Amino acid sequence: MFTFILRRTLASVVVLLLSSVLMFWLTVHSGDPLADLRGSNADNVQQLMDARSATMNLDLEWYERYWIWLDGVAGCFTGSCDFGVNRSGQDVLFMTGLAAQSTLRLVTAATLIAIVVGVALGILTAIRQYSGFDYGVTFAAFLFFSLPVFWAAVLLKEFGAIRFNDWIAGGQLGPLMIILVAAVAAVALSAILGGSTRRKLVTGGATFAFVVGVLVLFNLLNWYRDPISGPFMALLAACGAAVLVTAIVAGIRNRKALYAALTTAVVGIVAYVVLAYTPLLADPSWPGLFGLFVVAIAVSLLIGRLWGGYNKKQVMLVTGVTGVLTSLVVVADILVGYWASFLGLKSRPISTIGSQTPNFTGDFWERLIDYGTQLILPTALLALVSIATHSRFTRSSMLEVLNQDYVRTARAKGLSEREVVVKHAFRNSLIPITTIVAFDFAALIGGAVITETVFGWQGMGQLFITGLRQVDPAPVMAFFLVTGTAVVVMNLLADLAYASLDPRIRR
Amino acid sequence: MTTLDISTSGATETSGDAVLSFEGLSVTFKTQFGEVDAVKGIDLDVRPGEVVALVGESGSGKSVTSTTALGLLPGNARISGTVRVGGKVVGSLDKAGLRKLRGNDVAMVFQEPMTALNPVLTIGDQLTEGLQLHGIAYGKEAEARAAELLRMVGIPEPERRLKQYPHELSGGQRQRVVIAMAISCDPTVIIADEPTTALDVTVQAEILDLLRSLTEKLDTAILLITHNMGVVADMADRVAVMLKGDLVETGTVDQVLNHPRHEYTKRLLAAVPHLGEGPGQFGDVARPAEPVAGEVSALDLRNLVIEYHRIGRPAFRAVDDVTFHVDPGEIVGLVGESGSGKSTIAKCALGLIPAKSGSVSILGQDFRTTRGKRLKELRKRIGVVFQDPAASLNPRFPIGDVISEPLVVHQVGDARSRREKVMELLDAVELPPAVYNRYPHELSGGQRQRVSIARALTLEPELLVADEPTSALDVSVQASVLKMFTSLQERYRFACLFVSHDLAVIDLLAHRVVVMQNGEIVEQGPREDVLRDPREDYTKRLLAAAPVPEPGEQRRRREARHALLTSLGEESAELHL
Amino acid sequence: MSDTQQNAAGPGPGAADVEELLPEAKSYSANQIVLRRFLRHRGAIVAMVVMAAVIVVSFTSIGIGSIPGWWDKDIATAYDKIGDGGPTWEHPFGQDTIGKDYFALTMRGTQISLYIAFGVGIISTLIGTLIGAIAGYFRGIVDSLLMRLTDVVIIIPLLAIAAVLGRMTEGSLNLLILALGALVWTSLARLVRGEVLSLRERDFVMAARAVGTSPGRIIVRHILPNTVGVITVSATLTIATAILLETGLSFLGFGVQKPDVSLGSLISEYQGAFLTRPWLFWWPGLMILAIALSVNFIGDGLRDAFDPRQTSTKE
Repeated sequence: MFTFILRRTLASVVVLLLSSVLMFWLTVHSGDPLADLRGSNADNVQQLMDARSATMNLDLEWYERYWIWLDGVAGCFTGSCDFGVNRSGQDVLFMTGLAAQSTLRLVTAATLIAIVVGVALGILTAIRQYSGFDYGVTFAAFLFFSLPVFWAAVLLKEFGAIRFNDWIAGGQLGPLMIILVAAVAAVALSAILGGSTRRKLVTGGATFAFVVGVLVLFNLLNWYRDPISGPFMALLAACGAAVLVTAIVAGIRNRKALYAALTTAVVGIVAYVVLAYTPLLADPSWPGLFGLFVVAIAVSLLIGRLWGGYNKKQVMLVTGVTGVLTSLVVVADILVGYWASFLGLKSRPISTIGSQTPNFTGDFWERLIDYGTQLILPTALLALVSIATHSRFTRSSMLEVLNQDYVRTARAKGLSEREVVVKHAFRNSLIPITTIVAFDFAALIGGAVITETVFGWQGMGQLFITGLRQVDPAPVMAFFLVTGTAVVVMNLLADLAYASLDPRIRR
Repeated sequence: MTTLDISTSGATETSGDAVLSFEGLSVTFKTQFGEVDAVKGIDLDVRPGEVVALVGESGSGKSVTSTTALGLLPGNARISGTVRVGGKVVGSLDKAGLRKLRGNDVAMVFQEPMTALNPVLTIGDQLTEGLQLHGIAYGKEAEARAAELLRMVGIPEPERRLKQYPHELSGGQRQRVVIAMAISCDPTVIIADEPTTALDVTVQAEILDLLRSLTEKLDTAILLITHNMGVVADMADRVAVMLKGDLVETGTVDQVLNHPRHEYTKRLLAAVPHLGEGPGQFGDVARPAEPVAGEVSALDLRNLVIEYHRIGRPAFRAVDDVTFHVDPGEIVGLVGESGSGKSTIAKCALGLIPAKSGSVSILGQDFRTTRGKRLKELRKRIGVVFQDPAASLNPRFPIGDVISEPLVVHQVGDARSRREKVMELLDAVELPPAVYNRYPHELSGGQRQRVSIARALTLEPELLVADEPTSALDVSVQASVLKMFTSLQERYRFACLFVSHDLAVIDLLAHRVVVMQNGEIVEQGPREDVLRDPREDYTKRLLAAAPVPEPGEQRRRREARHALLTSLGEESAELHL
Repeated sequence: MSDTQQNAAGPGPGAADVEELLPEAKSYSANQIVLRRFLRHRGAIVAMVVMAAVIVVSFTSIGIGSIPGWWDKDIATAYDKIGDGGPTWEHPFGQDTIGKDYFALTMRGTQISLYIAFGVGIISTLIGTLIGAIAGYFRGIVDSLLMRLTDVVIIIPLLAIAAVLGRMTEGSLNLLILALGALVWTSLARLVRGEVLSLRERDFVMAARAVGTSPGRIIVRHILPNTVGVITVSATLTIATAILLETGLSFLGFGVQKPDVSLGSLISEYQGAFLTRPWLFWWPGLMILAIALSVNFIGDGLRDAFDPRQTSTKE
């Protein structure tokens, strides 16, 4: 296994090296780096041209310049990184550091969302093959495949940001909107749950009534501007999550798993109430939050182990997932609590430019909301295509697996359809998806170039495009280096995921 | 003559004590080409401790019938009639009831042990799952019970096996695990759907022994679905013969196998090659031509070594120091179990894979040194027939093109003469001229294999390499293909390397036999010597394990085999309680 | 036992096998079966109609090159503005900022975009098939080299390397097509390689090799015709990729250059006009969406037709 990973990594490094030569050569030969000066009629043109030639080493052959670049990059291994300078003499390494941060934040968020949503949709459509839900998701997937990204971005900016900001000033849903939202929820839920026509009608009707009720209540409470938060809401949400996780993983009849999950949820919320007044949550830091998260998972697993009995593994899985969800619920609850004060600081919450609001003054949680609101639209846009890819791929992989002999064996044992899907089919259907996720990551980075440009982020895309326009290899190569390395790392992770899912290739 | 015997044997025993019964069962599938009647109203009972064999060729509806007992048919199936398991009517159960029935009352053993187990879960997980689901044992107790089950089916070191994944086990061991899973909840009846078809003959004998001891020691009833008459003779108490969705004959194994009444049963039995009866089983035609003692061997292999390269691991030696030859006009049977290297030798003799060392000489020329035009000329003199009729014809070529392709490659004749040659060959393999313009997917398996043989004979080769040419065919089709094959051999007098795992087929055809195991030759010599009076233990074991389609004789053979195993210091497979 | 066998030898076991021959009166080749399955895919049929309509209208309306079409406005003339330049009977798609007929411009953009998409589709399919087939058939060192070459191209984000090449072509349409075609073949090459790797082990290829058929003939006559499903589906989807890629490049300014217009360059030019002249934004965008969506549905229909194991629509 280790040698396998090592060999793959070495091969990737060689490929990366060759690609860098190709990229460098192409960039250097893509135009004339002095074009803008040649057309200029300033007095000191010659002087400017000489200066730029000197910074960019234009008197050297391209391979000599490549060698200088490579030598600088190789310095990273000895602790003295040098990505070169751009044509104005600025240090590219410094620029890259800032740019990579925001780009990777965007791409990672999009990848995570795409995997979770895409895989979930894929499995649901496979189980409900040929249903209205299946057809709906299929059509939506094709639609997202076919969207020109920046065209959709313009629409998203208009409806997701500008009109939302207008609306949040009042913060009341109109009756038409309420009915529309409720109808969509009703149709979707009844299609997912399936069953006979009668059952679908009942599900749909109940959902419709419930959603309308909730939305009207929200209007009355002015919930969109000043949402109610606090331990009670969090407890409700966490227990809901616990029941849902149990129902999916272990079945609601499995009392041990259910009680274990509920215990986890309650313990989590109690901890939240206690910690809310300590600096750990009131004035947190990233490492502190991460530490809390780790503790939360550990406690959850412990609860699972104590409750688990003969079926420890499964119950620990239930409590572990519940623990993660409860942690998210707590964070969400805190953020919801800060929403009103955030609106006070920034009355138009979602801006269409930049990865964070300049000169924003707020505490940790308010800044987090600011990051979040700025991240939502580009991430959603970027994730859409990947969600479409993953859902289609998962669907076909799941259908393939459901036709396998061992699934028939599992059914012949008397397992329920939920157990067959969760225990036998799910893991097998994930195996081919790991490869696709790695592939898709490269495409996502490409898409990020456009998304960043549309939303005015100062990211890697900006670095790349400016560099290319100016025939300036250093920033272009920095872009390549970051994205290429990210792809290689992603492939490595995919290999590891593959190996952990499939015992056949572990050695 | 149809549906015989139900009245006679059914009247003596009421269906009341049956653990599994089908009454007037019909199954219809809705497909895009209209409705297909897979099962057309059959009645069948299986009683405790009894093995009922459901026999038929592919497409006869035997697997569909058995699947109804678990309620596992796909959604496009319409079922009428009553299926009872224990006292429960399967059709009237709700989902939960059906799940309780599966595993608990009726369990299933599938054909393909390689795919019947989930590759990402450990053996232990898959075994304990059913125990916990049906409330038999939990946790540590379930694990202990699982280990116990593995020990019962004869898997050594069961505790260690529990932690292993299916790919770490051999095919025979996996089938034992599947059987352990089937008996884990102590079902009243087990449905075994071709449980040994994918296994080697020696492993098959072990699995059959194991299944038999199930009925003896646990009083479990077994519905055995098979196409192999030898397996039927070895296992069954009663036999039911299916043909195109109808039950044409039922009775005790002695009645059906020794005194068949229905025309189809007779034909089916007549088509089974019988180990020990030698050539001429299918009439006088089916007797291969005697070899001419030639000056140059058609195929001469000396100290042949073939290795497969594997990335990151040492090369795998598939064939090790093999020496034998095939004389002109002679049929040499190459016998062995899976992994013995027999197909590898066939591919090497065709020049499809290189030899690592040793020599391969065809018609006096060395394959390894012949190049270019001379190599092509040499290839012209060799023909080949492969096992899988579905894969051996290019799906995008009409039959005429398939058969004439060798002529085109070697630029023999013009379009008209090629067409004539194809027509002549179609006639020789007993196919009507109309297939000339048909595509492979429009033909049945047997017809495709005839086309395959016709293609192999297009250039009138002096050496024919046949790699399991009849193994994928139904038994009646196999008989007709074998018959045709021998008559063709008589006519064209080609030398033949005939690779097969089926000793009865080899017995019918070969002049000489080469027995292989793990890449090495165990024994070789004239057919009579090797098959009648084997010297090596392995050959003896192989011969003893091959079942014959006659219950009395098979019982004697089985006892002889157990005696042989005892004399070799091994014990035969059985359930260890 | 042997009695019965000899009795039965009379009727001959083979007779039944031959008698059962050919129940269907009409013979269907593999292609005809694929076509029949394709025609059953409703989404794909609708998509075919839309696609055909887009192609016919875009090329007949304003004509090609010097051949005039049935639309009486051209792309170069600035007409008198009617109102704010919004859609009217005179100018159904409205007018741009200086009064040019936007229908004519959109049709011209559609022509160019289609030209690019199909050009890239054809070139990349040729390259991908060739590389995939050679790598898969010859395996070993050839395979390793070609696949590493594929990796070298794959590891660079597609849009990035396309942008670099797009900048090098400096507005030449045909060079742009060549450049994009030289980039998007990688996934097809991998697919074809996988297919060929499995096909070359199939018995009919073994049989062809045993007879002495040359590698070239085996690849062209025996292997490639059996990968036609994969190739067709992939080629179709490449067309969708290409049209979106061109759009992205034009947005970044490395695609089609003025005075040429493509759908991508039209949206890119007028994306700021969303609030003031929304029609300038909507028409080319919807056009791209219609084309890409049609192509994807056709691809799905083809996939179902070639590989009926997993159809996306119920039969």
